[in-house]
Amino acid sequence: MLVKNSTVGSTTQRTPLIDIICSDDPAVRNLSLDEHCAALSREQLLAACAELDLFRRECHNLYQRVRALFFLYAIHRFHLPRQLQGRECGVIPFGGYENLLARRFSEAISEFLAEQVRSGPSITLSSALATAYHRLAFQTLADQVRKSVRTVKGNQWMFRTGHPEDLPLRIRPDLLVIDGNGQYPVLCERTSVRMDFSHSGWSDIFFLGMDFPEGARVINASINLAVKGRHSRPEPPIETALRVIDEPVLRLTSIDLDVTADVRSMSEVYDFARDYLGLLKAAVIASGLVPPGMEGCDLGIEAVLTKLVGPGRGLEIVSRVNDIPKGSRLAVSTNLLGSLIAICMRATGQVSQLTGALTEDDRRIVAARAILGEWLGGSGGGWQDSGGVWPGIKLITGSIANEDDPEFGVSRGRLLPRHHVYSGDEITPAARQLLQDSLVLVHGGMAQNVGPILEMVTEKYLLRCGDEWRARHDALQVLDEIATALKAGDIERVGKLTHRNFAEPLQKIIPWCSNRYTESLIEQCQSRYADDFWGFWMLGGMAGGGMGFLFAPARKVEASDWLEQTMLLTKRELENSLPFAMDPVVYEFAINDAGTTAELKNDKSMPRGYYELVVPALLRQDIQSLSPARRRELERVGQLCRDNEPANNELAERLLDRILPGIAKKQAEIAVTVESLLAENGFDRIAHAHIREDLLGGRLGLSQNRLPATAKIEDVSADDIVDARFTPPKGLVKTAEDALAKGQVAVLTLAAGVGSRWTQGAGVVKALHPFCKMAGRHRTFLDVHLAKSRRIGEMYGKYPTHIVTTGYMTDAPIRAAVNAIEYPGSVIVSRGKSVGLRMIPTARDLRFAWEEMPQQLLDEQQEKMRQSVRAALLGWARTAGECNDYVDNLPMQCLHPVGHWYEVPNLMRNGVLQKLLQDQPGLRYLLLHNVDTLGAAIDPHVLALHMTSGACLSLEVITRRIEDRGGGLARVDGRVRLVEGLAMPNEEDEFKLSFYNSMTTWIDIDRLLEVFGLSRGMLDQQDVVDEAIRRLGRRLPTYITLKDVKKRWGNGQEDTFPVSQFEKLWGDMTAVPEVDCQFIAVSTLRGQQLKEQAQLDGWLRDGSAAEIEKLCRW
Amino acid sequence: MQINQAIITAAGKSQSHLPLQTVVDRSGEVRTALDLLLDEVTGAGIDEVAIIIRPGEEDRYRQSLNGATPKLTFFEQHDPRGYGDALLRARDFCNGDAFLHMVSDHSYVSKTHKSCAAQLVDVARREECSVSAVQPTRENQLAFFGVIGGRPVPRATCLYEVNLFLEKPTPTVAEQSLIVAGQRAGHYLCLFGLHVLTPTIFELLEKTVQQLKPGEHANLTTSLNHLAQTERFLATELQGVRYNIGEKYGLLIAQLAIALSGEDRDRVLTELLELLAKN
Repeated sequence: MLVKNSTVGSTTQRTPLIDIICSDDPAVRNLSLDEHCAALSREQLLAACAELDLFRRECHNLYQRVRALFFLYAIHRFHLPRQLQGRECGVIPFGGYENLLARRFSEAISEFLAEQVRSGPSITLSSALATAYHRLAFQTLADQVRKSVRTVKGNQWMFRTGHPEDLPLRIRPDLLVIDGNGQYPVLCERTSVRMDFSHSGWSDIFFLGMDFPEGARVINASINLAVKGRHSRPEPPIETALRVIDEPVLRLTSIDLDVTADVRSMSEVYDFARDYLGLLKAAVIASGLVPPGMEGCDLGIEAVLTKLVGPGRGLEIVSRVNDIPKGSRLAVSTNLLGSLIAICMRATGQVSQLTGALTEDDRRIVAARAILGEWLGGSGGGWQDSGGVWPGIKLITGSIANEDDPEFGVSRGRLLPRHHVYSGDEITPAARQLLQDSLVLVHGGMAQNVGPILEMVTEKYLLRCGDEWRARHDALQVLDEIATALKAGDIERVGKLTHRNFAEPLQKIIPWCSNRYTESLIEQCQSRYADDFWGFWMLGGMAGGGMGFLFAPARKVEASDWLEQTMLLTKRELENSLPFAMDPVVYEFAINDAGTTAELKNDKSMPRGYYELVVPALLRQDIQSLSPARRRELERVGQLCRDNEPANNELAERLLDRILPGIAKKQAEIAVTVESLLAENGFDRIAHAHIREDLLGGRLGLSQNRLPATAKIEDVSADDIVDARFTPPKGLVKTAEDALAKGQVAVLTLAAGVGSRWTQGAGVVKALHPFCKMAGRHRTFLDVHLAKSRRIGEMYGKYPTHIVTTGYMTDAPIRAAVNAIEYPGSVIVSRGKSVGLRMIPTARDLRFAWEEMPQQLLDEQQEKMRQSVRAALLGWARTAGECNDYVDNLPMQCLHPVGHWYEVPNLMRNGVLQKLLQDQPGLRYLLLHNVDTLGAAIDPHVLALHMTSGACLSLEVITRRIEDRGGGLARVDGRVRLVEGLAMPNEEDEFKLSFYNSMTTWIDIDRLLEVFGLSRGMLDQQDVVDEAIRRLGRRLPTYITLKDVKKRWGNGQEDTFPVSQFEKLWGDMTAVPEVDCQFIAVSTLRGQQLKEQAQLDGWLRDGSAAEIEKLCRW
Repeated sequence: MQINQAIITAAGKSQSHLPLQTVVDRSGEVRTALDLLLDEVTGAGIDEVAIIIRPGEEDRYRQSLNGATPKLTFFEQHDPRGYGDALLRARDFCNGDAFLHMVSDHSYVSKTHKSCAAQLVDVARREECSVSAVQPTRENQLAFFGVIGGRPVPRATCLYEVNLFLEKPTPTVAEQSLIVAGQRAGHYLCLFGLHVLTPTIFELLEKTVQQLKPGEHANLTTSLNHLAQTERFLATELQGVRYNIGEKYGLLIAQLAIALSGEDRDRVLTELLELLAKN
């Protein structure tokens, strides 16, 4: 097609890919990139990339630019690597990487492209380019959504107001009417949460709504909630209150998070992570009380309050969420933000109604401010999330931007959708009642980060991946059918449709939205209730937390009790495999037909739980130092406690509980348990004391992990590695096949750690995480490794023995899992005999990690949040005592494994190796691999290379890609060895290295024993073995690392703390002079590791999952 | 359009003393604020003025007047029910004609030889409809004024078709419904305290007052809004500035503005500079 390319200014042939991006014809615009690229050669792909890159640089249309960026990402991530076989190795320019970390993505891309021109394309460079394009695309999108939020009419003025003198808001006079006791009236807002029937394939992501408004459609209902067994009847779960006070402070209180603070300076308002009041602060800013434009204004809060409420007065804002656990998928935090913003806007006349329900215009501006508040807080929800502010059941749809909208000319759709609230005629009261009588609403107990899923959805939408695009249309069809069924009052049909929505389109778009826990619950429901189980209902972004199960009304009550028990039992079965934050709960719910409503309380009562929180602190103060209003409030509470009203008796009881808590006993219990665990797991108290001393003295620490600055780090040459990526010569493999048939090889899977990065410190057993569906069901890492050994056994007639190493945290669950797995060979569990006790980190190490080590700069608001969190963590480390034992958590979370080096010596120490060699004297080789190296399997070719070399250790390395950080294969002062990332004297050195350590190691058992100074016959001499291990261990470096550990509290709340621990690492064996090592280059597929769940989608889409499945027999 | 009468409202609780404050006019003469307002009226060719006052204030007002004045009629507002009710008291005074309305807590400084009221009356006579004078005002001042929403009249300068009046809106509300094309960001067209209104306003005010519940008051803005929905209503920017003498330092600033536009400009400037240098 010949068209005038306006950006370049010349008449050129518009390539098909650019045509797809620019076309107004949906039939062309919605073509799949994957299908188009499948047939292209390497040269054609590279040419397409060059054109797309030019296009994205010159195109003025944001959405076309973003799509071009995603196309570039996908070509470099999925299509080019297939065409670059034989061109794996490349160098990533360090300058480009630095630009990437500093969010200078365009500059990073330019450096990577320049390198591509200099040295030719490679898989390594494509990985860097893919990452840079991906991040630039998301940054561009996020910037645009934020810009749209700022330009919403009604939000703009807040960014222009830069000084308290400019503040145009005044408190409504109704709130300044003081009573005889010096008390001001209390404005109280009660808000429901939203429950979505369908989000049409996550179409409530802002970007989707703005680019594809026709496909952005959601049905949700506002609901009141009660936790079964805890509350008597469903009520709006969110309650907020606002009142004027007689002190010039901004008093913020979160009852459910148990925190209150008097904010006295403007800078504190913008410091979100300083305490748990971030959401309240975001509401104060987004509602314009302290507008975002005032950030950086170095004044006391009194200056603002004088303008807002008058001299000498202040404001108190209180929030309370009625025991609804985090991860409910009911958008509790967005609706809480909406409630807080609504009450602040009511109080300052920014919405028309002081009390009662809001008008539609008011709700829209509150929703727009809630989006702004989420942006300020560095988080982000969907556009349907403020649904609880609206009443009843509504259809929310994207809308095309018209000339009056700020989005016009920028995006096809508007930022804010349209809400159609279904009337009683459209969905009858009977249908609503039937829904309430059949739906069992639950929180399954899992709390997971839905962020990566939303990124995957955006990416797949832009690439119009064939199956996913069809599934998106299917989801839209399901939504229409749900609306029809609701109007017909056919709730059974609604259940069938929500079930199909989950099972088909949603999982087709994002397979990771389901998990084994959810599917097990569904199977149990189907098996027990058959036709009386009407269907499953996924709420929000993913299953496992908030969920719904529809039953025939006659069986709902019984099913509700049964489900509560069943969820608990299923959770107990899976709690070591999946990240549960709490025990499951069942809710009672009712549709809220009012939306958010407010009342002016002239009785001046504050929300339940307020007095229990604030009174104990007031009692500790000198009564004369309290303001008159506070003194009178104390008197009032005293009077209430003396009354004989049942409700007030309850207040008195709760107050007493707060004043005299029973915490001391609990702490003692925890300490005892940690002690007993340490004793059970071979904790070396003397070594621990030495490490603490060295840490405090500065002899150990993150900076001391590094090799001397004088160490010379060079890349290896072709002669330093053996290449196993090509077809082996005939005859070579035969030796290995014979060894396999004779049972000379066993597999050693390292599974002692918990995989902190996999669940961000949630403490589940990574080996047992059912991470992916293969052959029709969810499989764990352990399942996959045993399936590969099963295949080898079938091929060579001898099932290799499989050893799984465990640690204090993983031993019992892995033993239970191993017993349940059917494996024809022998599976042995080798329990770790070493454990460490985590310590509070030193401020020095925290600073080193945050300031000296490279890390990704976040976007503006998230970076502010991070800085604020870090300041709080530094304070925590100092207060808790640097290098003190970390015991303020569950006992298991206080211990740590001491590094994978110990896992092989543990085989000698715990008798596993001795017994194995007695049972299988012919055993000569071990294949050691990490639990997350899914491609690691017994490969006769690689085994043959190891056998013929005669090396003690053969370590598999893979071509480095940008995500492969943490060391690699290097020549260090002349010796070829593996260097850990922690030990790199200079960050830049790592980028010289072509190969990354996969950790997969072939071990010659006898030669390794020799290195330890042992032999097969000496393994029964415990003292000799212990001394041999100690002797070699002393020669290996001890690394100090910081790990993130989650501490759970309240209702599914989590805090993450960095803690210090030490480790010795297996790769350092290559630095021991008498260890004869060989390094074998293997394919990326074989050596790549799955460290984060966000990698899963790419791993599935690039064909890696399918290749792994070929290695398995189930 | 006949505009022969003017109505000045001065019956507000905190307003009754304001028109009696003294200032030095452009020619250096000491006069009351009311005198200056009456100058505006006569400058517009109007010689019949009604002043709505609190009961018992007429003598004070009459005594404060200097020199020649137009024909004055005083209306006392007994049982006051707001600004709208005050204006309604002079309904019969207007004989069913359009009239000029001014508030008593403002002072005007024209930038041309024509008074502000005269400029407004010229527009109303030309366009033959109600016209309110407006002044672009920064959003941080919205809490003190009524604001119009509308669009510029094509091929006319500083003339706007009004479709909405709101009293003291927050900037949140203003941004959503009161943005007028051509204004700077964060600036709105706020009322100037000068209007020419058709007699329909009295019908609307009467209806409003009749519907009031006990304790409620009628404001003018609501009725202006109704008037804008009923018939053509324009707003115009005048060559002049209004000063609210009722707010803190309002009288001082108004005095300075008058002085700086008059014969003693150099002297006042010199005094100001000296004051600045000393403090």
